[in-house]
Amino acid sequence: MTPVLRLLARRLGISLIVLVGVSMLIFGIARVIPGDPARIALGPNATAEQVDALRESLHLNEAIPVQYGYFVKDLLRGDLGTSLYTNRPVTQDIAQFLPATLELVLFAGILMVGIGLPLGIWSARYRGRWPDHVIRLVSLLGVSAPSFVWAVILMLLFAFFLPIFPIAGRISDIYEIERVTGFLLIDTLLAGNLAAFRDAFWHIVLPAFALAVSGIGQAARLTRANMVETYDKPYIEMAQAYGFRARRIARKYAFKPSLIPSLTIIGLDFAAMLGNAFLVEAVFAWPGLSRYGVAVILRKDLNAIIGTVLIISATFLIVNLIVDLLIAFLNPRIRYSQRGSS
Amino acid sequence: MKRTLVILLRNPLSLIGVILVALVVLSAIFADFIAPFPEHRGSVVDFVNFNKAPNATNIMGTDLVGRDLFSRIIYAFRISLVLGVVVLAIATPIGTLVGLFAGYVGGKTEFILMRLTDVFLSIPPLVLAIAMMGVLEPTLMNAMLAVTAMWWPWYARLVYNIARSEREEGYVLAAEVIGASTPHIALREILPNCLPAILTKMTLDMGFVIIIASSLSFLGLGVQPPTPDLGSMVAEGARYLPDSWWLTVFPGLAILIAVFGFNLVGDALREILGADQ
Amino acid sequence: MAIWNTSLAAGLLAATALVSPALAGGTLRLDEVAVGELDPAKASDYADSILMFNVYDTLVLPAQGAAGHVPHLAESWTSDGNTFTFTLRDGAAFQSGNPVTADDVVYSLDRTKALGAGLSYLFGVVESAEAVDARTVRFTLSSPYAPFVASLTRLPIVDKALVEASKAADDTWGEAFLSGNGAGSGAYVVTAHNPQEETVMEKNGSYFLDIAEAAPDQVRLRYGLEAATVRTLIAQGEHDISSQWLPPEVMKALADDGAQLFTEGGTGAFYLKMNTTKPPLDDVNCRLALSEAFDYDTSIRMIAITDEVSGGSPATGAIPKGMFGANDASMALMQDLDAAKAHLDACAYDPAEMDIEISWIAEVPLEERFALLFQSNLTALGVKSHIVKMPWALFAEQVSKPENTPHISQLFVNAVTGDPDTLLYGMYHSSTPGTWQSPEYLNDAKVDEYLEAGRMAATEEERGEAYAMLNARLMEIAPTIYAYDRQSVFAASSRVTAPALTDPAQAFGLDGMGFTFRLMEVAD
Repeated sequence: MTPVLRLLARRLGISLIVLVGVSMLIFGIARVIPGDPARIALGPNATAEQVDALRESLHLNEAIPVQYGYFVKDLLRGDLGTSLYTNRPVTQDIAQFLPATLELVLFAGILMVGIGLPLGIWSARYRGRWPDHVIRLVSLLGVSAPSFVWAVILMLLFAFFLPIFPIAGRISDIYEIERVTGFLLIDTLLAGNLAAFRDAFWHIVLPAFALAVSGIGQAARLTRANMVETYDKPYIEMAQAYGFRARRIARKYAFKPSLIPSLTIIGLDFAAMLGNAFLVEAVFAWPGLSRYGVAVILRKDLNAIIGTVLIISATFLIVNLIVDLLIAFLNPRIRYSQRGSS
Repeated sequence: MKRTLVILLRNPLSLIGVILVALVVLSAIFADFIAPFPEHRGSVVDFVNFNKAPNATNIMGTDLVGRDLFSRIIYAFRISLVLGVVVLAIATPIGTLVGLFAGYVGGKTEFILMRLTDVFLSIPPLVLAIAMMGVLEPTLMNAMLAVTAMWWPWYARLVYNIARSEREEGYVLAAEVIGASTPHIALREILPNCLPAILTKMTLDMGFVIIIASSLSFLGLGVQPPTPDLGSMVAEGARYLPDSWWLTVFPGLAILIAVFGFNLVGDALREILGADQ
Repeated sequence: MAIWNTSLAAGLLAATALVSPALAGGTLRLDEVAVGELDPAKASDYADSILMFNVYDTLVLPAQGAAGHVPHLAESWTSDGNTFTFTLRDGAAFQSGNPVTADDVVYSLDRTKALGAGLSYLFGVVESAEAVDARTVRFTLSSPYAPFVASLTRLPIVDKALVEASKAADDTWGEAFLSGNGAGSGAYVVTAHNPQEETVMEKNGSYFLDIAEAAPDQVRLRYGLEAATVRTLIAQGEHDISSQWLPPEVMKALADDGAQLFTEGGTGAFYLKMNTTKPPLDDVNCRLALSEAFDYDTSIRMIAITDEVSGGSPATGAIPKGMFGANDASMALMQDLDAAKAHLDACAYDPAEMDIEISWIAEVPLEERFALLFQSNLTALGVKSHIVKMPWALFAEQVSKPENTPHISQLFVNAVTGDPDTLLYGMYHSSTPGTWQSPEYLNDAKVDEYLEAGRMAATEEERGEAYAMLNARLMEIAPTIYAYDRQSVFAASSRVTAPALTDPAQAFGLDGMGFTFRLMEVAD
């Protein structure tokens, strides 16, 4: 087995253990919720008998470990139970809402990398001069406010005050787009409807940017710090002494080694964005999983809470796995000998 | 210590940071004297002067029941700071101990403790706190608890990495040779080497804790009214955009200023103490 | 700030050009805060009612601008003691093409009663329904029930054949099918239903009544939009009617921008309900003290939108003005702190030890202001209190036990059939404690007696008398603070015409029925 495959196997194993842990943790949390979920589900006018019957069918009268057993059994069959809030299978709800959140987070991730990395590189190149100062200040400002503050400020400026962007939703009502991937930016293209694509794009810019602001700041700060460190390495000084052009040095010698630590942080920031999506979706009425998550938490909808958190965690683990593999490919030391940090 | 302070105050950026932090902390402490309407932190209603744009009497305007927004923001700083300090004061020792023992002892202890840490770390930060607040009654106490639960693993991770590299160092081996006990080595020998990193992280984290706590209350899962809280003020005000913009803009800027201050100071400290993660 | 506002207005105008791709033609767009429940047997709140009234039909409809009921799916009916016989209209068909038969009526009633959700409690007194022939259906009641015909406005007729053909085998009553699909005869057909986002409906071309040409071809009922979003969408011409839960300031801002204000009212009130089982509120003097301390004037000022339109009018007693037994408009309730203090002195509990829990429903931000208002009123009285925010689902669950029910619950309650019985019986009869509308846990023999008299009385006069006695008794024992008589207000763009929501002579007097889309018009 090659080292990379071994690494992959090891990470997959750990991810599985972690996922089981997460499921137990969330299951535990969800079961100590005060209030009777059966009563909440049936609504204010249900009779005591109906509540009892529902409790029975949800196994709510059993001990918690037994309930967990039922849960795992169902989970292995791909059944996360029925949401008491929407009356639909939780898996169906998740399938409906997850793509919207993923689309938002991925778009924000692209913004983060596409803006954050160049800013960091630029900042390092002009270290100590004014572009550096400006970028550092701006990126520090970026990480200094929660995404809902950025969301509200951006909305006020660019949707209300200068109404360039729409203020809510994913796409205008007039477009009926057949759902293939659930990613509207892709589905509109598949449908060949460029006007709808533009409309969907216009809708996603503001929320994605609000979500990305602190990630952009973080990415710029880290890239700068790492590049500054590599700039001090002897081989760069040598290259400079040989008279290589600054841009070439930046790209070829300073950037690549700096990329590895940045990637790790980008993975973490992606996780943060999955969480922060809760805030941004609330502001922009983005019909995603986070908004669904808040709704089900407020309604004590156990199955849906567990399903949502599990899926978000699994997404997070997958992203980290991808990041780890990327790092392994980029870093020869890990590629060949692997006593990796867990 | 003194040298650190001098460096802090000499750099213009960190000087701004120190000033901002001082402003926030002092106004929180002396809120009773600074706030023009101290009684407005509670459930005062004034339906003659409600929803007023900023003016000479209410420099940041009034909210929907007629309370002075500036006064409430000053009192909200108090809640944010108390929450930040308490969370860090609880999360840091827990995380540190877990990381220390996992890193130094190794073996099964390491595996179990670090997998436990991983479980917490693999739920995106805010999601765990949100899930917990969904369970608990929304009070200041519980908000602290929920944020603490998501915070300690980061310290465990940080200290673990340092402790693991230190465990092969000469001074640790020396202590083992003379038969020092495990707690002695962990707490007396290794811990001091982790302190600069921990302290820097705490300063930087003060801002993040404020962000997370305000996010919880933004979702309605934090401190309850009439207690002034920046996150819930933004959430409440967002309903009245764009007409009553002051209701959201000022509390939002208040969060930005406080966190920005702590971040500037934390950044400077990190450079001075040379503690990189 | 003048600069800000001017440029904002200019900005909103410009937005129409920049953002909106095209003006939707013949489409009506409105929103509701709650999730829409499409299953008619589970419908209970306003969003559900809007769906129910448009996708389904009922045997009778409330008369517009008058008391009483008019035929709808039924063409006539007779009553004989406890039996009611309805003859169905000839030629009415469901959207599926199936004819509407007596069998469907029986099925709809049985289904509602079997599921026991939503408003099924209205039919508790209905012992049975039987199909005499295809067009005749007979209901038998277990006891006299004056508002029975009124309650039929809440019995939507479901297409039995369609449900039976579409449901899964293990789903006895087709719950899965009906929560996602319409199976009615109504003027609008559900074309898409997504409970978190929106329900899309289109005009039913083969409806048994004529629908005006200008009635909306398509209706989009959107859920859970933020107030700021609705405010801007309406200003930008991308939304037509707001929900009634938009805060008064936002309604006012919209009205200032030229939006119309629609109103619907007269069947309900805003209440601060006191848990009469929890000390100190189990002492009638304490409750009276709190009732007298409440600042009624300020609450009216809080809900004013413009000089002409308000979210309500002063309450005169326990029964909203305009219903049987209501007091005259001149008897508006007033704050009286001296009387409050006198009652507090007479109360068996020590005011210094009281800590009143004031709850408010998280989905209704206006209630937070009432919580703060009442808290300051209590402070003036020297009574301590604290405020608790509760999401609706949690509130409905908590009130099922008296010890979990907060001291003060704030509620908007409407008579779901327009009859006072459906407003008051569920609230105050000792047999119905601990539902969301009865967090008082009232147990008073006289109240029970008057409530029963009110629903069994044979004539209108007798009913009026019973409810007047009830009103007096309720004011005496003060289970509730009657904050104000409510009127629902909706902000609407100028392209919509809705006579049932603007002209009192065409109002239905039944909450939600003003949103009968076939009676609305949208300009292109």
